[in-house]
Amino acid sequence: MPEEERKKLGVGGMLKGVMYGMASHGNVTAALRTRMYMEHLFMFITLGDMLGIPVLPPYYSLRLLPYAVPNVKSWKQRVFRERDFTDALY
Amino acid sequence: MDTPALFVVLALIAYGVAYFWYSRWYDRAVWAPDAGRTTPAHMLMDGVEYFPVSKYVLWGYQFKSVAALGPILGPFIAIQYGWLPALAWIIIGNFFIGWLQDYSSIMVSLRNEGRSFGPISYEFMGARGRTTLLWFIILYLLIISATFIFFIATFFNIFPGVFWATIGVLATGVIAGRLLYRLRWNVGLVTLLALVGVALSILITTDVGVFHVAKNFLGGNTILFWAIVTAVILYLGSVLPLPSFIQPINYVAFFPAFVAIVVILVSALITPLTGVHLQQSAFKTFYPGLNPGPLWPILFVAIACGAISGWHSLVSSSSTSKQVDIETDARPVGAGAMLTEGLLALASLAAYMVLSSKATGLGSVGAWVTGAQVLTNPWLGFLGTAILATFFGLVLVVYALTVQALVTRFWRLVSAELAGDGRYAVLGNKHVATLIGLVIPVAFAINGSWWNLWLYFGASNQLLAGLALMIVSIHLAKVRRDTRPSVIPATFMIVTTLSALVWEIIVFVNAVVTNKPLTQAGTTLAQPAWHAVALTFNGIFVLFGALLLYFGLRMTWSSYSAYFRMLRGVQPPAPQPSSSVAMGGAGRK
Repeated sequence: MPEEERKKLGVGGMLKGVMYGMASHGNVTAALRTRMYMEHLFMFITLGDMLGIPVLPPYYSLRLLPYAVPNVKSWKQRVFRERDFTDALY
Repeated sequence: MDTPALFVVLALIAYGVAYFWYSRWYDRAVWAPDAGRTTPAHMLMDGVEYFPVSKYVLWGYQFKSVAALGPILGPFIAIQYGWLPALAWIIIGNFFIGWLQDYSSIMVSLRNEGRSFGPISYEFMGARGRTTLLWFIILYLLIISATFIFFIATFFNIFPGVFWATIGVLATGVIAGRLLYRLRWNVGLVTLLALVGVALSILITTDVGVFHVAKNFLGGNTILFWAIVTAVILYLGSVLPLPSFIQPINYVAFFPAFVAIVVILVSALITPLTGVHLQQSAFKTFYPGLNPGPLWPILFVAIACGAISGWHSLVSSSSTSKQVDIETDARPVGAGAMLTEGLLALASLAAYMVLSSKATGLGSVGAWVTGAQVLTNPWLGFLGTAILATFFGLVLVVYALTVQALVTRFWRLVSAELAGDGRYAVLGNKHVATLIGLVIPVAFAINGSWWNLWLYFGASNQLLAGLALMIVSIHLAKVRRDTRPSVIPATFMIVTTLSALVWEIIVFVNAVVTNKPLTQAGTTLAQPAWHAVALTFNGIFVLFGALLLYFGLRMTWSSYSAYFRMLRGVQPPAPQPSSSVAMGGAGRK
């Protein structure tokens, strides 16, 4: 967050942030993580054949390719990250 | 002078000094955070695990993640020595060690690409270090589960109405989840409905004598009955998808828990006005007997969260550090949340200080609820004693239940990782793993020697804190910074907790040798017919303690070896690309 935005937050914004952090932030990140695993599955199904795993005929992969391409970079980063048992805590 | 307010104010001043002076000095002199340095949240941003979050949000998240049953129940055992030693440990422990561990855990992870303690310990101590950590955490999870299941079962048993209030909160959570995720209702409206649901759960179910039903049904063996009921709830929490059960329940349960913290803290601060006085001696004894044991080391493991807790280091390094916006946010988040948790421990201590010594005997597990009622009655008495009792009882249960549901789920994930896809793959099955992770703790819980379980939990938790501080010290030695503020507390914690573990083993060995098993009065195992079973359980606890001690010693050896290696300037061996314990890795083939 840029410095000006941080200063502009004020007491109301600060309290809102604290309440959100206590009540919902964990839930939001858990929901994001669930979506991440679904996306991994989706990318694997759609682009699997390009990785040498024939899970979907190339015709459909090519039809879906334009929708999947914007996510490829962040997907690669997430799916290749080594996860440890201590990462699974929250 | 004879009200708890003065001591809470004293702690506020001490924590103020800790935050504005000591933590600022440590921050600048040792870690030297740089607001311009790119944090993992930016460097590895993926919008899921790594993304920058405001320090206020992160503070709230960190506080909610670390504040649970520990700061509420820990002071209960500690008050057996008098309230002064407990107060001193909560203030001094947090001042020199507690916040430093939480903050440094965030910083060490920030400086290591946001990695959690598993990979960091692997880098510093090799595969052996991480495997030992894994096994230590396995035992730690079992003992947390046993302790929390015992508490939930006991609270269901001694506070009529709390069970139905809990069911009300669970049902409200599940309905709120459906409304939010399936029907996509507005979050504000759902929250409002959830608050009404929680309030109704307390009001309608107060004084429902359901525990009599259980007593009639099982002939007095109610702890076992409630432990099984608790296990069923936890089983659902472990195997059902997060958004349909645990996640919305945690959200709904947050509100009564938050209200209770504020109410207790305010009640403690206004005691000069409400006229609630101290009823306990400042100092009772250094050695109340073999069980619970001498003030040192037992007091220092009895109060974990609130003074220092190893669990916090896992939270700090596994999730918080991945979302820190700029490095200078780590101090308000890590140190700020921990010092605030110290206040919660003090408010809980205040609830015990206003009760008589008889009311806080080791058998009175629900004393916090009584103390909370005494503190709040002068200004909230119009609500009625029964409603206050149900409310505070419910708060204890939801604190334990929400954390325990996560612990059971974590156990399942770790079991799947350990079992891999080889010969023992069935042990990693989500139903089998969850059942194992519940049956063993339930068996431990119904043994009923609850403060011994708590002390095992406290000792393993505090030992984890000492080891976390050692990992911090290893990193600081590697980058040639001052390690004294972390290695001295680490050594104190490790020596103290290993001594506490040895003491607890001696207590159980003594019980076996003298043929006087440790049980909780009123439970089945306390009856003469179950003598042999109780004795066997005590024998199992000896073995369990010995295992904890073994892995604790192994971790200690590995961490000090790595620390001295770093001081000598010997770099650790280059980490290998994969290992058998990496999540999502190959597992055991």
